[in-house]
Amino acid sequence: MGGSYGLALMADHNLLDKHLTEEQYERLSHSVMLRQSKLSLRIAAIFLAMLLGLPLINRYMPGLANTTVAGFTLSWLFLAVLFYPITWLLSWFFIKESNRIEADTAAWQAEIDQARKFNRQSDNAGGASGSDTGDRA
Amino acid sequence: MDITGLIPLLFVIGMVIATVWLGVWATKISKTSSDFFVAARSVSVGWNASAISGEYLSAASFMGVAGLVMKFGYDPLWYPACYAAGYLFLLLFIAGPLRRFGAYTIPDFAEGRFDSPGFRKVAVTFVLFIGFFYTMPQMKGAGLTMQQIMGWPYWVGIAVVGSVITFNVAIGGMKGITFVQAFQYWAKMFAISAPLFVLVSVYGSYHGRLGEIAGDPAGKPVQQEPAKVKVLSLPAGTHVLQLPDGGKASISEKDLRAATAGAETTSTGTRGLMIRTAEGGSAPPVASADVPPGGSLQVLNEKGPDGAAPPALSVNFATPTAVSFSGAVPGAPANKAWIQPFGPFTSKNGYPLLYTYSLIIALVCGTAGLPHILVRFYTNPDGRAAKRTTFWVMVLIGVFYMFTPIWGTLGRMIIPHLYATGKTDAVVIDLPRALDNKLLGAILSGITSAGAFAAFMSTFSGLLVSMSGALAHDIYGKMLRPNSSPEQRMGAFKVAAIMFGAIAMFLGYLVEKFDIAKMVGWAFAIGAASYFPLLLMGSWWRGLTKFGAGAGMLLGGLLSVGAIVYSMLIEKGNAPFVVNSKIALTLMEQPAIWAVPLSLITMFVVSKLTTTHIPRDVNLKMLRLHAPEELGLSKNYIEH
Repeated sequence: MGGSYGLALMADHNLLDKHLTEEQYERLSHSVMLRQSKLSLRIAAIFLAMLLGLPLINRYMPGLANTTVAGFTLSWLFLAVLFYPITWLLSWFFIKESNRIEADTAAWQAEIDQARKFNRQSDNAGGASGSDTGDRA
Repeated sequence: MDITGLIPLLFVIGMVIATVWLGVWATKISKTSSDFFVAARSVSVGWNASAISGEYLSAASFMGVAGLVMKFGYDPLWYPACYAAGYLFLLLFIAGPLRRFGAYTIPDFAEGRFDSPGFRKVAVTFVLFIGFFYTMPQMKGAGLTMQQIMGWPYWVGIAVVGSVITFNVAIGGMKGITFVQAFQYWAKMFAISAPLFVLVSVYGSYHGRLGEIAGDPAGKPVQQEPAKVKVLSLPAGTHVLQLPDGGKASISEKDLRAATAGAETTSTGTRGLMIRTAEGGSAPPVASADVPPGGSLQVLNEKGPDGAAPPALSVNFATPTAVSFSGAVPGAPANKAWIQPFGPFTSKNGYPLLYTYSLIIALVCGTAGLPHILVRFYTNPDGRAAKRTTFWVMVLIGVFYMFTPIWGTLGRMIIPHLYATGKTDAVVIDLPRALDNKLLGAILSGITSAGAFAAFMSTFSGLLVSMSGALAHDIYGKMLRPNSSPEQRMGAFKVAAIMFGAIAMFLGYLVEKFDIAKMVGWAFAIGAASYFPLLLMGSWWRGLTKFGAGAGMLLGGLLSVGAIVYSMLIEKGNAPFVVNSKIALTLMEQPAIWAVPLSLITMFVVSKLTTTHIPRDVNLKMLRLHAPEELGLSKNYIEH
């Protein structure tokens, strides 16, 4: 899950200047959004398949939908009972992954800050540590 | 009214006192206006999740879902499922970004995202649209509950309950509301679940009852318990019947004579009792509303043993008298249509699949477009806490929603007379009272009545805070009097709360005939076509301009409002013009399937035409929406 493409994208750029340029901000915001949105879309796809698939099963496979299991029809059991724990699982998984992305980003930022401080001291703005951030990602 | 009849009232009064007392107590802590509006953004995850759940579980969840499931069976299960599922969408796409952006209200987001105070005006209007659509069913819940437990006229319950809540909001603001609503979540959770353990042990299990229904496809619910009807004091020639649901009907001596005579001689095929409404006097009979036409009807002396031979025509009506009827209940769908998908609820106008999908879209997207829910994400200390809060909200409301269909299922088997009166929304109040142990029944009914009160009080409060906040903060504070002091804004808030409370009570009075959960579904549909596209596109697409957002929101939102109001007028039978196309009727009753895409597409197209109006610092805005707080990038950028 996740992966380093977003941070690698950021690391491509020399972000160790004292001031980030407009373009760099665009790249950075893109890459932060990219990882988060890919995660969101992936989970939404699973969820939508379930949510929008059920009416189709009800419509075109009524035999399956109306099979009785311990009193419940399968469709009732799914929509009125099992549906909720499934949303909890998806939500729990999303939060775990999403926080992981944020932790990655934050750790990477800490490194930048440190480098930036160093650069200021030596008055030597440079991109030598770009590969470091790439490793970190 | 005997002593057991007063028990539910005591529970309700206890709930109201606890609510008002908590509000007053919490007000002592709430001093500054920031506290007043968003609880100083310092509410912990546990409190906040309970409070959001408490606010979210409205009369629609507490009374309406059970009532709609009882009435229609499978199809309304989409309501609770999607009420809960909407939170997943909120979590995936909106909760985190919105919190990080840091603003008090959605209009704040609208203005901040597009640097446009003008756009704020457009955004504010929908707080009011959605708010009023959402408050109407809450007020119906209040009127109906008081009708059931006290026999009050519908409007009295609305006036009393509405006034109490409005007063509480006007003095408490949102800080008070946070504590009150967290408390009310747990009150509601207890009230929806605890009585069921008793009821299930008496009436049979959830799956057992569902199995019976599934095993007898042609079956229909049959009136089992005699419906007790008290005949009160009589003006000459007319008998006023106090019906069990609290409504009143009158009956002429002649009609009653005919009915009792028929019941004595034949058990089936009699015309039944002709009932006239008290207000209508000699208005057309409304027998079908209260007594099944074609069913037999007996007038029994309450003092005599149940099922005894009906008394002669010389029965003394000055004393309390019970009337019972038996036979299949009118208005109840057969078992097969009830338990299987695509029953009468979605098939009303044909196109059940279309109806179902449109309903799903409205509810899932609409959750993200509810102003009174979104404002709560600003009370989380950071975006991460906002996500955790959302997860716990999903757990809290999901557990709650697992219980509600059990009420509907047992209600169908035990108190089917609600089908005849159309008051299935009262199932959670009336079901415990069917118990043989009247004291226990009154206590359990008291618990559910108090839960219902918690439901419409908490949601009504939250909506009033949002609507009044929008007026005080956005219209008064930003548009009318930008230089007003915090005290003046607080004053505007209080005036707005009282004004909106009064309007909501009046609207609630008009909607007695509509199902509670269905009305709330409509509020969701409006939110889905207006705020949801704004928040989704605003958070994720940097190309969105204020013109695109405004055009999409207005077009989708206003067309939805129009379509829904038209559907309501049709249902009430006084639409200004008639549409015969069944597909058009389906699409107007559930507009989300066209209105949400319409809104999104309009936003896209108009934004593409007005690209020069993309905010110049859109990248910074995107970072503020999506970068974790630890990055502090936006801060650097601002300093630079």
